[in-house]
Amino acid sequence: MIDVDGLAKSFGKRGEVHAVAGVTFDAPAGAITGLLGPNGAGKTTLLRMLATLVVPDAGRAAIGGLDIVRDRYALRERIGVLSDARGLYLRLTARENIRYYGALHGLAGSALDARVDGLIAALGLDAIADRRAQGFSQGERMKVAIARALVHDPMTILLDEPTNGLDIMSVRALRDQLRSLRGEGKCLLFSSHVMQEVAALCDRIVILAQGRIVAAGTAAELMAQAGTPTLEDAFVALIGSGEGLAA
Amino acid sequence: MHASRGSAIARVATIVRKELVDMFRDRRTAMVTLLSAIAAGPIFLMLIFNLIANQADRARDLTLPVVGREHAPALAAFLERQEVTLTEAPADYEARLKSGDLDVVLVIDPRFARDVGDGKQATVRLVYDRSRDRARPLIDQAESLLRAYSRLWGQQRLVLRGIAASVASPLTIEDVDLATPQQSGALVLFLVAYYGLFASVMGGMAVSLDSTAGERERQSLEPLLTTPARPAEIVAGKWLAACAFNALVVLLTLTGFYLTLSFAPLPPVGVPFLFGAREFLRFLVVLVPMILLLPAVLLYVGSRARAYKEAQANVSVLLFVVSLLPVVQLFLQRKEPEWISLVPVSGQYSLLNVALRGEALPLAQLALSYVVPLALAFVALAAVARLISRESILAGK
Repeated sequence: MIDVDGLAKSFGKRGEVHAVAGVTFDAPAGAITGLLGPNGAGKTTLLRMLATLVVPDAGRAAIGGLDIVRDRYALRERIGVLSDARGLYLRLTARENIRYYGALHGLAGSALDARVDGLIAALGLDAIADRRAQGFSQGERMKVAIARALVHDPMTILLDEPTNGLDIMSVRALRDQLRSLRGEGKCLLFSSHVMQEVAALCDRIVILAQGRIVAAGTAAELMAQAGTPTLEDAFVALIGSGEGLAA
Repeated sequence: MHASRGSAIARVATIVRKELVDMFRDRRTAMVTLLSAIAAGPIFLMLIFNLIANQADRARDLTLPVVGREHAPALAAFLERQEVTLTEAPADYEARLKSGDLDVVLVIDPRFARDVGDGKQATVRLVYDRSRDRARPLIDQAESLLRAYSRLWGQQRLVLRGIAASVASPLTIEDVDLATPQQSGALVLFLVAYYGLFASVMGGMAVSLDSTAGERERQSLEPLLTTPARPAEIVAGKWLAACAFNALVVLLTLTGFYLTLSFAPLPPVGVPFLFGAREFLRFLVVLVPMILLLPAVLLYVGSRARAYKEAQANVSVLLFVVSLLPVVQLFLQRKEPEWISLVPVSGQYSLLNVALRGEALPLAQLALSYVVPLALAFVALAAVARLISRESILAGK
């Protein structure tokens, strides 16, 4: 479970760019929480703070009871992160890429083998498991990056725009994968600027615009709050414009 | 809460292993680096030995073209007694000297006999082009023969006047050359030391830059930072991997020298040049600080760059400075000051020369030569760890 309280982060020489300006929300376990916002809303910065890569200027956040600043290294053993940058080692095979992260998480021997084999099977990577990542398609790279993020069986999973650049088949496979993780009781936080994506997958939706949360709740709650008949109208009404969002 | 899995050492070892596998997978770069390391020694020693053999041959049988031989028959006879072959110089000898067809020409002044008869100083001219290294041994030989003739003649004149030869030459100059046979061939020494040093500079370059600038370029640094590996562990792993590869390149280069000088059929060139097992080990001991320092510096340069190409451009400045230092030392005519041991590259170069002269390494100087490189390596690695923990490294996509 993710518990965010007043998190803020500014950039620029004098901190004049308020990327995240006081964000409070929570994301429960056993559910997929969608972080929806137009480009530049602060989604990546927020996720980087939760992933312990960026230290917030103000506010606090805890994941599974561990503080994102104080307990950052302990936390890294418990969260799986699919970051905005998700490059693979192109000269290593899919299996070696996944194993590397498993070993960095302290897995070794048969436990590591079993875990990597399990992920390769679950993500349908068998055909390319022992090929070098050099020639992989976007979808294949994404699957390897997800396997890498899940190799240590984290309870909380943060995904930054995971469907970017994927074809329909890959997107569907990814959705199935995320639903099955939800079924295992994991806490998933997933950012997107694609409305359909969020609507199709998420149990709860947090709408972020200009570094602030403008609304949060289930799809029905959001439509009721905005007084609109469709989710799309609700988004536009809540954000103030549809700019930067993709249908 | 579950206990922390995995130790820092295990993570560092994991990173070292991955970086080395990654490096060797880049077949072309790895092979080019390793093959050129082992092949360069032999190829380039053969070239040098060929050069020395040619010089030695020339010096042994001196053929001296002469202009106006008829003016000084006694001198001609003296030179022929010294086993110099005298030939008639062609009319266009100056042009031929410039073009390199001739090395040195003796010109006897037409007034030679008259000046001798008048008791004046007679004149001979050695004409040569000093800028051509190849000709130097011949020029020196011709010059020393002429001086010997002059001395002999002067002594005979004094004896005729009833004066002891020692009156006119109160000083006897005896050449005592302290250079042992191994100490000759300064150019060869320079090149072997230089190349050994060069190997330790270049060996870790590809892997250092690929694991920093390359890591950023392919967008794999951010995910790596989300793992439990601390920045210091990541830097340590990358550094150790680069050092291992660097050490391998140095070993291969030295092996190339060793095999060539021990087993190849080298021409008998009169430069007994030692590079045996002892020199091999001394070279390694001297180069250890470089093997450790250069990857650290290259990691720093690499992690400041967003892409491999950018890093390469910055590294070329570094390489220029590093490759210039020994050249400066070579042309520095004075004895090297004590503090040179402290200067990275220069200190090592100076010690490599000691090793090549067949002398034992001075331990105090050796210890000094470790201080600055190791301190610098530590500073560079700490800086890399700081750099990759900065948030701005994520922004540079």
